[in-house]
Amino acid sequence: MSWAAAGAMQVLALAAAPILPGLVQSLKARLQGRRGPGPLQPFRELARLWQRSVVAPEGAGVAYRMAPAVIASSLIVAVLMVPFAGEGLGWPAGTDALVLISLLALGRVAAAASAWDTGNGFALMGAARDLTFAVAGEALLVLVLLVAALPAGSTDLGAMWSAAAGVGAWDEPARWCGAFGMALVVVLETGRQPIDNPDTHLELTMVHEGPLLEHAGRDLALLQWAAAARHLLVIALAVGLYLPHPAAFWPAVGAMVAGAVVVVIGLALLETWQVKMRVLAVPRLLAAGSVVTLAGLVTWLAGAS
Amino acid sequence: MGEDALRLEEVAPAAFAARVAAAVEAGGRFGGLDARPDGAGGHRVRALVIAGAAPLLVATAARQGSVPGLRAMLGAADWDQREAHDRCGVRFAGDEPHRPLVAHPADPVAWTTPVSGEDVHQVAVGPIHAGVIESGHFRFHVVGERILHVDVRLFYKHRGLERAAVGCRPDEGLALVRRACAACAVANQVAYAQACEAALGLTPEPALRRQRTLMLELERLYNHLNDIGQACAGIGLAAGAMEFADLKDRMQRVNRAVGGHRFLFGTVAVGAGVAPADRAARAAARAEVLAVRDQALRAWREILFNPGARQRMRGTGRLGADAVARMGLVGPAARASGPAHDARTVSPRLWYPGFSPALAPEATGDVAARIEMRAAEIPPATEIVADLLADDAAPAPARAATAPGGVGVGWVESPRGETTCVVDLRSGRIAGLRLRTGSFANWPGVAAAAVGEILPDFPLINKSFELCYACVDR
Repeated sequence: MSWAAAGAMQVLALAAAPILPGLVQSLKARLQGRRGPGPLQPFRELARLWQRSVVAPEGAGVAYRMAPAVIASSLIVAVLMVPFAGEGLGWPAGTDALVLISLLALGRVAAAASAWDTGNGFALMGAARDLTFAVAGEALLVLVLLVAALPAGSTDLGAMWSAAAGVGAWDEPARWCGAFGMALVVVLETGRQPIDNPDTHLELTMVHEGPLLEHAGRDLALLQWAAAARHLLVIALAVGLYLPHPAAFWPAVGAMVAGAVVVVIGLALLETWQVKMRVLAVPRLLAAGSVVTLAGLVTWLAGAS
Repeated sequence: MGEDALRLEEVAPAAFAARVAAAVEAGGRFGGLDARPDGAGGHRVRALVIAGAAPLLVATAARQGSVPGLRAMLGAADWDQREAHDRCGVRFAGDEPHRPLVAHPADPVAWTTPVSGEDVHQVAVGPIHAGVIESGHFRFHVVGERILHVDVRLFYKHRGLERAAVGCRPDEGLALVRRACAACAVANQVAYAQACEAALGLTPEPALRRQRTLMLELERLYNHLNDIGQACAGIGLAAGAMEFADLKDRMQRVNRAVGGHRFLFGTVAVGAGVAPADRAARAAARAEVLAVRDQALRAWREILFNPGARQRMRGTGRLGADAVARMGLVGPAARASGPAHDARTVSPRLWYPGFSPALAPEATGDVAARIEMRAAEIPPATEIVADLLADDAAPAPARAATAPGGVGVGWVESPRGETTCVVDLRSGRIAGLRLRTGSFANWPGVAAAAVGEILPDFPLINKSFELCYACVDR
């Protein structure tokens, strides 16, 4: 029965995902001494964009037209793969962690191909930076998932969640190292400071917003929703694999919601006191995260033998 | 009032460049160059050099539309020459071809610097930007993220204010100058009023000088606070951006209380002052200005202790003192690279007794130094304002001191650097007007500071200068 409840929650969470960036933004505004928009603002924006027609640049081809759908659907599948409180639909792609990595890569490639298709300089610059970050970022994600997979003895996300349950999992130094890496993955995938600045209007500095510039109307709504879904995905991963939670289903649901709130608050705080770092320094930061995670991996392997 | 008496020199075209360069070499500072038709089919080219408080206008006739160019000896004249060429076709021998500056040919090849090599490509930004910014087009020649060269194209909203002023009475011309730029309204107007008064042989009384100085320093305060906030926004330091936005608005409210207008419009008149605000309002403003200073310095210290902010600002967009001197940059941006001129030290028509310019704590010439320069100029400006707000006297009109000379020069240290103004009067009407603002002088510096940096750092470098587009679109 709990898998049905978890599945329902997954679907609900997909619909409610925009509240996550909404919460971060409104919390951030409060921290800056502004009233700011309410946490529901992203929904209003999506509703507004959804009513508008799509305006495509002249000569844009299939890569441009397909990108919003591909990116959004890859995220839907990815979110359904991640267990909520240890359970989930896992449909249609199973629950293997490595598939998750490829789904994220698929979205990135689709965005880059769309930027290439339109030939917009800023879109291409943003996509190029995103792909540059991905070289280090994907390695980090693989390591982070590996550190969570080794105690489970499986790359199945459900098994990884079970292995992370309880307080015993935190006896391993590897878990702590992995948590550091996971934190960087969260910041990277949500496109927040210090890696990217979601509030910027300066085209020259854009990373994740760059490829969105040529999209309008429903396409833009899909892409903005996808950005919110990416928040949901990495927060669900972080909470499930790298925050303490009980093994029983309903208490774990409570722990998941509490964990999501903790991550949202953490993102708002981080973005308030951390400035955006120099673009060329980002891969170094991600590499440093990989080294720490790798060190955790080594301690686990040394302990296991 | 002999110390700022204007000298006029008419030289042969062949001697023009050498004469101007010699005047600069002798310790003068270049204050602009312009050309206008002489009414007989030719053109008169005129350059301004100010040595201390003594202005010198060197004029020559352009024969066959050409005079020897100044650029080799005087880099600061580059934009002036290109503007003169675009406006009336005067050519400057030796510096040709003149890349269009004010004119906007459609073909980029016509106005950009050729940059070629493996993997070099161009990135064009603007003239329409996301956000409330004036129009400006930047063409970056880059390899990957690395900037090799930037071509800046401004003058999109050229309004012809200088041409419109011709035939106006001086007070009518003031309204046009006021509209040149809101953020520099006082500096531009005071420079203009001084030029008109010099042409009319008028000298401002101390009370009037003090009032103008008060308005100038109020303008500097809110602009510097704004600049620091903008730099914070450029690196995503929202806390700093918000704090300084708040402080800037508090200063603008002081402006309204003291001068009746948030941008201090209507606080300058030619040959006269305006009635000061009542005593209670000035006392309240004085307390508020001191409170804003204390809060600003606290907030600035917090920014200094933010490691991320230091990392982004230090070493970014570095300009050496030699480059600053070569390009003739002015204002806080120039002083951030080393000791450089501050027009307030030589302003006999204003009220700066014993003034010496604030020194950069570290004159590294990078973004950090330019922003720090703003912070360093806040306390002395606050002191001047607090001192002058105690003044009760209503300024008397300027008094006649010398015979009207027909041409006058004014200069003022605006928040962005020295602004100069040359006014020609003929039977009480404006016959010629040229306003060269600190922004005009510093724009080439923005392009130079970006060379070798990465594209995403350009907005920050640009904000560290925080120049006006409107000030050149006059």
